[in-house]
Amino acid sequence: MEQLIEELKREIIEVLNLEDMTPADIDENAPLFGEGLGLDSIDALELIVLMEKNYGIKLQNANEGKEIFKSVRVMAEYIQQHRTK
Amino acid sequence: MSIYIQSASQISMQEPLSEQWMKSPILPTVAFNSPLEPDFKRFILPAESRRMGRLLKRAVAVSLDALQKGGCEMPDAIISGTGLGCVENTEKFLNAVIDNDEECLPPTPFMQSTHNTVSSQIALKLQCHGYNSTYSHRGTSFDSALLDAVMQLQVGRISTALVGGYDEMTPAYFKMLGKLGYWRSDAESDVDSLKKSGINGSVSGGSAVSLLLANSFTENTLCHIDGAEIYSVASLQEMCDFYFEFVQKYLSQNNHVDAVMCGLSGDQENDAVYRRFVQQCCQEADVLWYKHLFGESFCASAYGIYTAACVLKDQKIPPHLFYQSPREVNVVKNILVVNHFQKSDFSLTLLSR
Amino acid sequence: MTDIVITGMGIVSALGRGVEATAERLLKSQPGVGRMRFLQSRHADLPVGEVPYSDEQLRDMLGITPDFAITRTSLLGRLALVEAAEMAHLVDTDHLRVAFVSGTTVGGMEKSERFYHDFLENESKNEYIALHDCGACTDMIANGFAGHISMQTTISTACSSAANALILGADLLRTGRADVVIAGGTECLSKFHLNGFNTLMILDSQPCKPFDKHRQGLNLGEGAAYVVMESAESAARRKVSALCRFSGYANRCDAFHQTASSPEGEGAYLAMTAALKDAGLQPSDIDYVNAHGTGTPNNDESEGHAMMRVFGDRMPMVSSTKAFTGHPTSAAGGLETVISILALTRNFVPANLNFTEKIDSLNFVPVTEVKTNVQLTHVLSNSFGFGGNDSSCIFSKIS
Repeated sequence: MEQLIEELKREIIEVLNLEDMTPADIDENAPLFGEGLGLDSIDALELIVLMEKNYGIKLQNANEGKEIFKSVRVMAEYIQQHRTK
Repeated sequence: MSIYIQSASQISMQEPLSEQWMKSPILPTVAFNSPLEPDFKRFILPAESRRMGRLLKRAVAVSLDALQKGGCEMPDAIISGTGLGCVENTEKFLNAVIDNDEECLPPTPFMQSTHNTVSSQIALKLQCHGYNSTYSHRGTSFDSALLDAVMQLQVGRISTALVGGYDEMTPAYFKMLGKLGYWRSDAESDVDSLKKSGINGSVSGGSAVSLLLANSFTENTLCHIDGAEIYSVASLQEMCDFYFEFVQKYLSQNNHVDAVMCGLSGDQENDAVYRRFVQQCCQEADVLWYKHLFGESFCASAYGIYTAACVLKDQKIPPHLFYQSPREVNVVKNILVVNHFQKSDFSLTLLSR
Repeated sequence: MTDIVITGMGIVSALGRGVEATAERLLKSQPGVGRMRFLQSRHADLPVGEVPYSDEQLRDMLGITPDFAITRTSLLGRLALVEAAEMAHLVDTDHLRVAFVSGTTVGGMEKSERFYHDFLENESKNEYIALHDCGACTDMIANGFAGHISMQTTISTACSSAANALILGADLLRTGRADVVIAGGTECLSKFHLNGFNTLMILDSQPCKPFDKHRQGLNLGEGAAYVVMESAESAARRKVSALCRFSGYANRCDAFHQTASSPEGEGAYLAMTAALKDAGLQPSDIDYVNAHGTGTPNNDESEGHAMMRVFGDRMPMVSSTKAFTGHPTSAAGGLETVISILALTRNFVPANLNFTEKIDSLNFVPVTEVKTNVQLTHVLSNSFGFGGNDSSCIFSKIS
């Protein structure tokens, strides 16, 4: 799990182009949206693509993301349970 | 109604956000010329910049710089010209669509690919709810944006407008346009070669020029816009007919055009049109050029207006702007900026002190 | 100058070719949204408002040979332009300054996405490189006009492009730069923007349900529409009858987000109010609003709130015709101008199809079945685009 969290942090930084950030700067328990990292709805769409591309998880609509993208840890847990690759 | 160019800012192959090119210009040596970029952090927060492509960053920087120089916090209108829109992001998304066979595509490059991204991002940055539009009509994209602003100032609907011309050239698009004969070889891309006749193609540059237009005059004002028009033409004769109509409308009696700022680019077909036009219509005027400093792009005409505005402010024509040897008296009260695209779209803009 | 009037219009969309076919389908509530037939995409399961003709059929209609390079956007544009010019008897243009203002965003992309590797790797499709950009598309359409055009340009403000073309056209008339203006927009389906909208997860996998509580998104469409505008004096001089007045317009910016609309619909509110002011009308003068109403959760709620701010509890009749045509993006303002004028001149309000339940936060329901024999005097048409490019146009009966 900890390894997946690290991997996910790196992927998030890359796909969201979070220049000047390192995995260590992201608290895996902090909210990704609003407070915390301060991501927005377009970032959510990018994360949905990331889940499909890297882990074979396909979300049907953007609303499903709300629960899954609560924090990096929640996201990693969801991926571990549902990944197809 | 009087209309003025209050301030201007540019990013190009010249020193960015500066008029250094008037004293020490940087001259092209190759056909593909990348703009020199300023430190964007002055204008854009890291959180904002992470989704912005190059063109967008340049556009935001010159817009904010022009507003600052013109002492304007909130323009009444934001109007842009862009011949190709945000090409970098368009190509990114297009390649993804093709390579990934329409699956797992990233939304950001698509969002940032539309032509109106620039005008709307500037509005977003300024929180400007006023008139907002974007023109994409090849070589008169910028001229169309300028005309729109001039008309709205003329009818009194607005009192300030931020007008810009924005285009970027990517290696892939450069290659495609190269197939259509747009560019020269690197060996023939120096200024002396650009003046030689008998060669096709020009040198490329990007465009990022922003002008602040206003209906009132301040001590920083660059120049007055006497008139601006766009025409569709089919022949040199039509160009001349429109010229005489234009002059009759906008040039006061007993006055004449001191200088013509032409879009001479080195391409023989393109340049022949300007030469014949000048010969038939304004033989007495000094012939100036600017594309040897800023390169060719769909919005290059924006540099024509910008260059003329700077010259009028400075009251001196820098020697490197003369295409032909200057007349004896070097006073410049007005400049006619002439632009055509492939002999079909044609624009005239008269600027004065 | 006095009134700006509309003296001709032309249209092609998922509802078919021409003003008459369009009116008939609207009156019979027969939508054009359906199965993808001509666009080659792996998302063929998504419903679209596709023009029911192949490129070959469009070429035949226009007498264009197969070896002549032209994009679908331009083919659609030419069909609409020719119809509009005919209706306005715009043939002899000898002593007229005719301006052509066209809105498009996709331009030649539908060919470029097919030939992109050819563009870069071989010489087989070079003629389409020059047809890729928006301006090229306008030039190709203008070349199909029988008369002489003395000024032309292209507007690209995404889904409000055609409405902004009308607005610029009116200013060209108002400032005396043109005697007659042909304005509108054109767009064809492309894999590029179909996939683009799909990445934003705003496409409905079923026919769209504008203003419905359970709406899921939009269906993309395609088409072209142009109107001929001139001063009332010019129309009288040319002895052509006016269909209606173009009585007011405004363009404002939401300045909220690159792709989403603000919850309170600020840009839309400002555009509608400024258009009313330009027309010298009160909100209560508007009889029918042809809404932008794309069917996305965000647009319809935002636009609905903006309309509530403008009209309060005296909401005029409202319908979105996107379920008929799909969302033809840059051409939307053109198509809906023609639809608004049809409503105004033939005394009907087209239905907002596929509606079942009101959106909780809105105080109105759209017109769900076509209403005939209604007297309309002023119709407002909304066109909103990405980047918050919001424009409203008002068309009024000739008094």
